[in-house]
Amino acid sequence: MLEIKKIKKIYQMGKVKVEALRGVSFYIDKGEFVAIMGPSGSGKSTLMHIIGCLDQPTEGSFIIGGKDVSKLNDDRLAEIRNKRIGFVFQQFNLLSRTSILHNVEIPLIYAGLKTKQRRELAKQALESVGLGDRAKHKPNEISGGEKQRAAIARALVNDPLIILADEPTGNLDTKTGEEIMKIFYKLHQQGNTVIMVTHEAEVARHARRIIHLRDGLIEKDEVKT
Amino acid sequence: MIFEIIKLAIESLKANKLRTFLSMLGIIIGVGAVIAIVSIGSGAREQITARISNLGSNVINILPGTSRGWGGRVSASSVDVFTLELADYIEKVSPSVKRVIPISQGSGLLIKGNFNIQTTIIGTDADYQEINNYNLAMGQFINEGDLDTSRNIIVLGSELTEELFGNDNPLGEKIKLSYQKRDYLFTVIGVMEEKGAGLTGNLNKQAYIPITTFMKKLSNSRFVSYYMAQAKSGDEASAAVGEIEYFLIKYLEDEDQEKFNLQSQDQILDTISSVTASLSLMLGGIAAISLLVGGIGIMNIMLVSVTERTREIGIRKALGAKNKNIMSQFLIEALSLSGMGGLIGIFFGWLGAYAIAQAGKWPLVVAPISVLLAFGFALIIGLFFGLYPAMKAAKMDPVDALRYE
Repeated sequence: MLEIKKIKKIYQMGKVKVEALRGVSFYIDKGEFVAIMGPSGSGKSTLMHIIGCLDQPTEGSFIIGGKDVSKLNDDRLAEIRNKRIGFVFQQFNLLSRTSILHNVEIPLIYAGLKTKQRRELAKQALESVGLGDRAKHKPNEISGGEKQRAAIARALVNDPLIILADEPTGNLDTKTGEEIMKIFYKLHQQGNTVIMVTHEAEVARHARRIIHLRDGLIEKDEVKT
Repeated sequence: MIFEIIKLAIESLKANKLRTFLSMLGIIIGVGAVIAIVSIGSGAREQITARISNLGSNVINILPGTSRGWGGRVSASSVDVFTLELADYIEKVSPSVKRVIPISQGSGLLIKGNFNIQTTIIGTDADYQEINNYNLAMGQFINEGDLDTSRNIIVLGSELTEELFGNDNPLGEKIKLSYQKRDYLFTVIGVMEEKGAGLTGNLNKQAYIPITTFMKKLSNSRFVSYYMAQAKSGDEASAAVGEIEYFLIKYLEDEDQEKFNLQSQDQILDTISSVTASLSLMLGGIAAISLLVGGIGIMNIMLVSVTERTREIGIRKALGAKNKNIMSQFLIEALSLSGMGGLIGIFFGWLGAYAIAQAGKWPLVVAPISVLLAFGFALIIGLFFGLYPAMKAAKMDPVDALRYE
């Protein structure tokens, strides 16, 4: 369902070329719960940006849902992000000026849905993460855990192929982090594909498969049984 | 979608009310100035036009030319060519001309008891009244008999009567006229009604005597000051000008038109319109510059806004916003800024125009075209100066934008 083939990513930093990814290949099946781990500088952020279609590889191909997206233009990539990928960020990345409900609606706005339909889907998504009663609140009126749950609702609302989480518990205390991980686990059990980038083994342990990155290469790909 | 974006733009403008207002200020002042200036210009023009029409319809003044001076000689002396007979002659040979009346004028002192008043004495004939749309308040005007016998009778302007006689009945009263150090006794036979100010000064302070009396007794001259001609209708006014010109060139053998000078109402109107038009244009140009400055203000604030919201742009892109979505979001924000500024400017411009019209006592004229033009220009400014910031926002790399702190 998601296939990474010999991906390289080279950045030009002034006169120096930096190889963030030096030929990474793996395959992730539908319904898997994968953690991508590695120390900082291992290339995991770069890999996440490529999987999230925010960036494109210098070399190699990336196929998602049977479609090679490594050569698409900006607008086509935006469509893929909109329809196939649900992002969850470390800093929540909710828009502070508008309500939680509106935040969850944003992907649907860009998908071109009508107001009524949007509102309904967004409410459903919020209820599925237990935030039905916070719909009218602004992000600064709710707790960190609730913000992250709202972000998960926003990631889910377009019914994406993969949920891509970048250090989703990085800004939360341990207890709240556990709660968020439980939500991811539940989503996995419901058949969703979850890919999580983290540097904490404690967080990664919730995943069924851990891909270890080091210096732009896969060091270890362990599958729990 | 577009409705969604407009709502979004207004919300983000509302989030920063003071900044929004300050960045709109340039547009508000610009649009307000355009509307006020254009309105004041047309109001003033309308008032001047009304004053000119007040002078009488289809009137053409035939003035003697001034001979050019040689060396140290004074150049002011007018060429002596205009006789009473020539007036009749012009009237006869010009088919579009209804009548031509001679006018002689000079400054004299009217004395009544202990009062005296300096005034313009106008010598004319019986048709003066009709040619000038000028009615009597009481008594009668100069008639043919008065002209034939060169009687010492006088018709006074309304203000003169008030100053000399107060509330007393002036008809039949004798007053003294001192003209070039000689005194004459005149009998008041009529008083003109009050008339609004014309271009030649205050008509209410003039006095009228028969032209024959003026020429034989006051000026001792065969020549009059100028002629007033009246065309048969407004449509024939320009034809009349042509006929008179043609005739006088032939008659006076004056190819270069140095001995006479025609002045029609149309001409005066044209001159005044061109003056007011160029004045409006100049002031409008200044207003346009202020609109431009307002546009630069908008661009400045939009650039700040784009930088400030880099992260928001990153989030939106991650959630599936295409470049054109981001672009239209910021463009519509700039347009809302200039559009709202335009609306507020229209309001204040209208208010200013109204206040000045009240003060200047002329009609409030706000042409819809000037309102539309100013508003449209404001929108174009918003579009133009919003384009670059919006493009900058749209072109942001999502990864960099998400990383922005």
